[in-house]
Formats: sequence, C-alpha cells, structure tokens
Amino acid sequence: MRILLLLLLIPCVARADLTIENAWIKNLPPVVPARAGYLTISNTNAAAVAVVGLHGEAFERIEMHRTVMKNGTMKMEPVAKLAIEADATLRFEPGGLHLMMYPRQPTRPGDSYRVTVEFDDGETLDFEMVVKP
Amino acid sequence: MSMNKSSIALVALAALVIGFGLSWYLASNRPIQLESGTWFGEQARPLPDFELTDQNNRPLTRAELMGKWSLMFFGYTNCPDICPIALQTLDRTLRSIDDPDVVKALQVYFISVDPERDTPQRLAEYVKYFNPTFIGATAPLEKLNKLTRALGIAHEIHDHPAGSETYGVDHSGAIVLIDPQGKYAALFGAPQDAAAMARDLTRIVEHN
Repeated sequence: MRILLLLLLIPCVARADLTIENAWIKNLPPVVPARAGYLTISNTNAAAVAVVGLHGEAFERIEMHRTVMKNGTMKMEPVAKLAIEADATLRFEPGGLHLMMYPRQPTRPGDSYRVTVEFDDGETLDFEMVVKP
Repeated sequence: MSMNKSSIALVALAALVIGFGLSWYLASNRPIQLESGTWFGEQARPLPDFELTDQNNRPLTRAELMGKWSLMFFGYTNCPDICPIALQTLDRTLRSIDDPDVVKALQVYFISVDPERDTPQRLAEYVKYFNPTFIGATAPLEKLNKLTRALGIAHEIHDHPAGSETYGVDHSGAIVLIDPQGKYAALFGAPQDAAAMARDLTRIVEHN
C-alpha cells in the first residue's frame, strides 16, 4: 500500500520526496560575521539522498558544521556531505549540526532569506530561512 | 494544671528551637549538592593573579572579582552555535532567579579565547546583545592562560593564514563560578540547564 502510494506521488512533483521544516537563523549583532542556521530535512523517498552544499544570494558562503564535544572541549568540524537514508530525517539543531552562514549584510530578527540546498543527485531545493532573536 | 500546660509548651518550644538550630548547623556544614554542577567546597582553590582587559578597556583582575559571585564562560564571538547558546542560558538563568539579592550578587563574564579577533569593542557589542549586565573580557594568550590554566579551561586556536577571519577555536563548554573571596567554587558542565542553574545559584548565594 505504501509503495503504491509512493508510486502515485513520485511523478506528481519533483522533490516532493524531500521536505524542509523549521528553517531559521540565530540572529547575532552586526559586529559578528557568522550566523548559525538550523533546519530539518525529511526524506520520504525510498532511496537515500545526500546533502552536498547550500547557497543563497544573500550569503558569501554557507558551510555545514557539526559541534562535537571531546573531553569537555567543544569543536566545530566542517562536514562536506550528509546522507539522509530512506524515510529518515536530518536535523540541524543548536549544539549539534548547524549551518555556518556568512551574510553579506547584517541580519535582523524577522528577516527572511531564500536558500538553496544541493543534493548529490544534482537536484536542488529552495526554501526560506527566517531570522530569530 | 495550667502550670503543667505551660511547661509542656515550653519543652515543645525548646525542642523546636533545638531542632531548627541543629538542622541549620548541619545544613551549613554539609557540602552543597548541586543539581547541575560540582561544588568544590573545602577544595575551592584561590585564583592566581591575572590581568585581562574588559570591554571598556579597563583591567579585569582577581581583585575585581572580590565581593561578588562571578560566572565565567570562555568562548569567542565567531562561534555562532555553542557560544550564543551558553550566553542565552546564562541570561535565562539570571531571569529564572526569584530573589533579586541573589541576582545582584552575580556577575556574568564572557571571556574570549580568541584575542586576535575579539577586540574590547567587538566584545562590548556582542555581550550586550544577550544581557546588558554581562561583561566581556580578553587578553593576549600568555596572560589569558594564567586564568584558564588555573580553572582547567582548555582552548586552542586552529592554525590559519595571517589575517584570516574564519578560523575556528576549540574551547571548553563549561561555566565556572568564582566565589566572593576569589576562589574557584563550582563548575557547571555543558550542556547547561538554566532552571537548574538558577536553583543551584540561589542555594549557593543564599547559604554563603
């Protein structure tokens, strides 16, 4: 039944197998260049997919980072590729995976930015990120 | 009969007073059990002399910490994930404390372990975003290490080309507490919980 449903859904809309929710940017004062971004990507496809990058016109660049704690010390490690298994969810959230974003202009709470996520199959998906205080 | 009644009342009152006195004595001599951290009690070590520069270009020394409880977090402003979380937690902690005298007795410091990029001006702009009472400070590494070594706070700047704006800095996620005599009194490991820290700090400040 589930496979039948998927078969019915897949041809309808491209990238309907991937949904993005809770996409937001933590605001910081203009004196600081980088902002952390968070989002949740759900893969309802029957196959795994991987995130290989993000970009947005308003940002010089966007990197993927992971905060890890080793012996009580916090480290930020860059991540090049993040796989999302079939029917799995990838969460960027405070204290863990996050986007390291370099906006060209200072951000303000309430601002909204269009960002594009790139997948390993060459496809992309656009979404909005809202700045929160 | 009435004599008897009043002597019973007297004995009861005496028992009550002794009971309260005893529990107060025991409580004041027992090491404080913290919900969210470690209280060093008798093992609290005095800090060595150190000198940092605060956000207003004034020296921040051991003498400056006397007479109040100091909460310190060590990070850097180019750290967009963990440092804002810690500073927001410290702001929430202060807001969660009901007793205004406890809040008044506490001072939060954000100590930058990235003195190359974090100028006093940048620190001032940064910390006031989280709470106007927070104070930012830093110092060249050799001066900074005197304080961080005494507190067991690890930090390391990643190798980077000169003038780079985007290098990372590893640093401890702990919040430390210095008592009004300049001793290292308690440690709150990451991740911290604002409500639990608020209860711990209230207990600490009210009992000391």
